[in-house]
Amino acid sequence: MSNAIEARHLRKVYPKSPPGVAALADLSLDVPTGRVYGLIGRNGAGKTTFVRIASTQLAPTSGSLRVLGHSVEGEEREIRSRIACVPQESRPLYFLNVEEVVYLYLKLRGLDPADAKRRTRDVLEELSLVEYRRRPVSRLSGGLRRRAMCAMVLASDAEVLFLDEPTTGLDPIARREVWEAIRRTSRENRTIVLTTHYLDEAEALSTRLALVERGQVLLEGSPADLRGRVRYPYRVVLQGAYPREELEGLGQVSAIEGGYLVFAREAEARELARRALERGIRVSLGPVSLEDIFLDVVGRSIESEETSESPEEPEVEA
Amino acid sequence: MSERNRLRSLGTLVWLNGVVPIRDQPLYILQLLASPLAFLFFIGIVSRGTLIAYGITGGMVLTMLSVGTGLQSDLTHYRTDFKFQDVVVASPVEAPVYVSGMALSELVYSLPALGVFVVLFVVWGFATPFSVAVLIGVLLLCWAFASAIAFTLATYFRDVRETYLFSPLISLSLTVLPPVYYPITSLPAWAQTAAKFSPTTYAAALVQGSVGLLPLTVSGAALDWSVLFAFTVALFLIAAFKARWKEP
Repeated sequence: MSNAIEARHLRKVYPKSPPGVAALADLSLDVPTGRVYGLIGRNGAGKTTFVRIASTQLAPTSGSLRVLGHSVEGEEREIRSRIACVPQESRPLYFLNVEEVVYLYLKLRGLDPADAKRRTRDVLEELSLVEYRRRPVSRLSGGLRRRAMCAMVLASDAEVLFLDEPTTGLDPIARREVWEAIRRTSRENRTIVLTTHYLDEAEALSTRLALVERGQVLLEGSPADLRGRVRYPYRVVLQGAYPREELEGLGQVSAIEGGYLVFAREAEARELARRALERGIRVSLGPVSLEDIFLDVVGRSIESEETSESPEEPEVEA
Repeated sequence: MSERNRLRSLGTLVWLNGVVPIRDQPLYILQLLASPLAFLFFIGIVSRGTLIAYGITGGMVLTMLSVGTGLQSDLTHYRTDFKFQDVVVASPVEAPVYVSGMALSELVYSLPALGVFVVLFVVWGFATPFSVAVLIGVLLLCWAFASAIAFTLATYFRDVRETYLFSPLISLSLTVLPPVYYPITSLPAWAQTAAKFSPTTYAAALVQGSVGLLPLTVSGAALDWSVLFAFTVALFLIAAFKARWKEP
């Protein structure tokens, strides 16, 4: 499978940054064509900087980044004709109504009026925006405004879509409608780069994920790959009085309300669950969530930052 | 992007920023009529009508320059508060198409004021084929350089509040200090020298000369056109090389 985006040793230092502070330190990744690629990480990790460079809004300091085979430095025109972006914190112009937000954006991109009208109608239906189509943006809730922004780019003819926190502020039902539209878009062999703080969203949508921290990729792969690369791929929740000393050595143990949360390898997790059931303690066993991985990997990265000036490789299994 | 698509984008921007906001809030037209007509009223009263002709020609120039002021505010507001420029950058729309479309859309707001001044221009007996041709040429160049200044500055401002700081300064240096509303001979010698650094001095001289308010010689007119054109080209070059379409 070809890559829609290829980044190599990408570095970005903002002109007015303090010396030594890089928004992107040495970021390399490949985004496969026709897939949803999730970028997750803490605030300020470098996700938006990456999206802004890849969507040709921002110049990199060094390294290379190619989108659809073209360099973001010098071949912007070739890239721009084939991409669309919902920037972080963007919102539609307040004096337009929802239908105009989508329709005028499509016409701005050069689509003929009949095609723009058809695409507008379809996307408004898909994202349940039909009832709001004549409503001015100034009278919409924050979530509906965000949904209108998503509708705008999802209706476009772009081959690569950059969605920077597209569902922030949306209610759970609206989020799932946007998810479905993203999945449908991806089935059209279009590539979507998605940044999000909702780890369930990243897990539900992304074929591949990159966990970005301090301008570098800490972990990269499919959600299943990521699970396979952490030390403890299973989580056991014990609700009841289980002797703490018997948990030591099984994995990573932490106290929670009314019991313990234990991260362990498969064999230890199964054994622990069996013992807990024998003692009549409520237990749940399952694979670690993306949130667990995130907290584990980023947490250790922060610890290493605190103990050392130089960043260390995260503790992951090969 | 094909030429046809560029034209479609241009038309869309004119509709989006020129027509829809007025449909949403028609009072914009009154606001845009107010400023140049207020100047005309003020000059007519103070000069007891003797400088009203300067007020009409100056009002036309001011109306075109107000396109730049409006453009500067809109571009900054859309870029910083809505991230609209970021949306446009990551699309097939090129910077010249965006700026031209937005600058044309600002003309829509100026049309009512221009219409009033055109009527006054005709009523005062200024309209001849020669003066109309000069007026159109001068106003187009004013629109072009004002738009170039507006775009360049708007890509640097961090917040729309910064336009409130710069707009009065630009208006002062382009419409009040240069002899747009009065003959250049009214200025003291040092101010006449300073006025030479403003493109509107040459624009005003051409318009005032074309309607007979000032003596107009062939060599003088050629010089005024050349300098006005050179200012416009220089400001376009600054916009082309210094405006931030893609952030560094």
